[in-house]
Amino acid sequence: MNGMRQVRLVAAREIRERGRSRAFLISFVLMLVAVVGAVTLPVLLDTGAGTKEVGLTGSVPAELAAAMQAQGEGVGTTIRIHHFDTVAAGEEAVRDAAVDVLVVNGRKLEWQQRADEQLKAVVTGAIQSVAVRERAAAAGMSPDELAAMAAPMPVDNVELGQVAGRSPDDETAAFVMTLVLFGAITTYGAMVLSGVVEEKSSRTVEVLLARMPARNLLAGKIAGIGLLGLAQVTAAALAALGAGTVVDGVDIPAIRGSVIAWAVVWFVLGYALYATVFGVLGSLASRTEDASSVTGPVTVVLVLGFMVSFAAIGSADTTWAQLVSWFPLTAPLAMPNRIAMGAATWWDPAVAVVLTLAVIAALVVLGGRIYTRAILHTGAMLSLGEAWRGTRVPAPSVGDTPEGRPATGATAVEASAPETTTTNEPLTRLVLIGLAVLLGGAVFALAQDFVIGVAAGAAFYALARGVVKAREHADR
Amino acid sequence: MLDFDGATKRFGALTALDSCSFAVRPGRLTGFVGPNGAGKTTAMRTVFGLVDLDSGTVRWRGAAIGQEQRARFGYMPEERGLYPRMRVRNQLVYLGELCGLTDTQARRNVDLWLDRLDLASRAGDRLDALSHGNQQRVQLIAALVNDPELLVLDEPFSGLDPLAIASMSDLLAGVAAAGVTVLFSSHQLDLVEDICEDVVIINDGRIVRAGDLAELRAAVPQRFVSLRFRGTPPDLSGLPSIELIDKSDETARLRVGQDVDLAAVITTARRSTDLVSFAYEPPTLSELFRQAVAG
Repeated sequence: MNGMRQVRLVAAREIRERGRSRAFLISFVLMLVAVVGAVTLPVLLDTGAGTKEVGLTGSVPAELAAAMQAQGEGVGTTIRIHHFDTVAAGEEAVRDAAVDVLVVNGRKLEWQQRADEQLKAVVTGAIQSVAVRERAAAAGMSPDELAAMAAPMPVDNVELGQVAGRSPDDETAAFVMTLVLFGAITTYGAMVLSGVVEEKSSRTVEVLLARMPARNLLAGKIAGIGLLGLAQVTAAALAALGAGTVVDGVDIPAIRGSVIAWAVVWFVLGYALYATVFGVLGSLASRTEDASSVTGPVTVVLVLGFMVSFAAIGSADTTWAQLVSWFPLTAPLAMPNRIAMGAATWWDPAVAVVLTLAVIAALVVLGGRIYTRAILHTGAMLSLGEAWRGTRVPAPSVGDTPEGRPATGATAVEASAPETTTTNEPLTRLVLIGLAVLLGGAVFALAQDFVIGVAAGAAFYALARGVVKAREHADR
Repeated sequence: MLDFDGATKRFGALTALDSCSFAVRPGRLTGFVGPNGAGKTTAMRTVFGLVDLDSGTVRWRGAAIGQEQRARFGYMPEERGLYPRMRVRNQLVYLGELCGLTDTQARRNVDLWLDRLDLASRAGDRLDALSHGNQQRVQLIAALVNDPELLVLDEPFSGLDPLAIASMSDLLAGVAAAGVTVLFSSHQLDLVEDICEDVVIINDGRIVRAGDLAELRAAVPQRFVSLRFRGTPPDLSGLPSIELIDKSDETARLRVGQDVDLAAVITTARRSTDLVSFAYEPPTLSELFRQAVAG
């Protein structure tokens, strides 16, 4: 039997069975809705972003309206002018938020609450320029002479802390990529974990391993879920891009093609690394309840890696950021954002790729041995060392119990029955963590405040866990 | 022909298989019996590479067993299990393809077996929607889907109702008659005695008896006499080399020495009771088993 064909068959089954499960389809639709919403909502909710209503009353210089519109155009704001016969009528409009600001006699600005700094600058600038023109005309200066006199002196801005050629777009790209990679590796890694545990707890694995080596089963499972994940993330990215293009409101960061290519490479590597770890650790647990305790330390490492990679975006050129981007456990998150920041030389990612591949190879060899030995063991959870040595009697619970055994069909059902509610335990938790981190990151990005971002993420996680637990409780 | 040759497996301090040597012949049903924890499951798992031997070998048709051979084996583990949420037909086709069948072959075989076991109408259902009995049958098809040359079943009869036991027996006998090598373990010794040509008895990891069941029984020096009667039990206390080992209201079983005078037994019995039947026979498998395991 051809090993590659078995790997392909296993991968195809994962894609087919998962792809048409209702839970998967629902979560996929929700994901697309969330992505499209995240891209379009800010634009849709902020329809008036580019337009400001300015009220004028009292004695107003003739050119003021035109000057304001010209100034506004310079900063991308459309100014709409409303004329009021009385100050009271104008103030009424301000209070009703019908206009953003009321200009009284060309000398006083009245706001509803706090002044809009940008609009204030536009209006004030227009008033000043009109005043200058009036004074120049009074002094007998022609408009051309005034223009020559007021011609701006070109000034270069140099940001010493910034690397030449790096734009804020790069930072956004790095930020988004780290979030997406973390979310994807976490989500699909958790799927591998629950898949392995499910096969073990339903005892399907012995039937499978009688037909193929454990490495084929694990490789096929990881490949299938990985391809599914890649397709899902790609679909979400395309949806975001499409939505962004339609509403034309969000700047899709001008990500270079090479950066996207690297992101795909790092998704594959990072996912392969963590999925292997999750798969091997999953083989140690006999029940889904044990799975999360086995993988807890790895999840912690993954979350820490995410935080460190996140922090490394701001200081992509430092030595520690370079080390983080080389270290195989953090490289999948940290290296792509250094690449996006243009902080990596050509050999930087090469070093990280080689190191990560070496670790993956080692994991496959060592993990394969553990997986093969642990996967048939039922009963109490194995420790890594026991699985490695293979000293425990396999399946002590089997114990050749004679006729007194319950119908064997019953064991299959028993194994599967609690599964429907509990298999998803570690999965739910990881998904919630992923969502919480995404939410926290988004809040952080919007509020420009790290503490508020963390608080939002933590609050969401706590709330969602509570809801999920309450629902599980209610289900029983 | 499946050959175990000095197969030895230790788990830490426990020796699960201790230099096990026996052969399983094609075209015959071979029953694998032994007390709990004797090593039956471990021995069966070694055939599928699920357990690595510490020493000794298991060979199929004289060659070491690899993936190529296993593709033509069928296995039903004691811990039954298939994907609970996968549809019956898809699941069986998948398992067939894993054995190297093409998609078309796998579909044809699966449909054939589903038909034979009256499951055709459930082909599109999820496994966990089926009754226990039907799940068992699906599990059996999973072992047969690739038309195996060697069929290994771990406790195929456990948990079956009498009707299912009968149809499973017929099916196994039919498969063996078609030339397949069949090895199965069971605790139901009467059943094994009824349907098996060969038996292998394992105790504490050691093979204590193996071979043709009739020959094994005949090779034991003790003989037994079974009586069925109406009325008062026969009084045989006066006869030499006779030991009553079991009796009920209308039956008695005696262990007799080789020098026993059978005519005297019949005559004496008929004198005191209404004798219905009389049998002089070698030990049953149960007796053989108890004797082999005890010493």
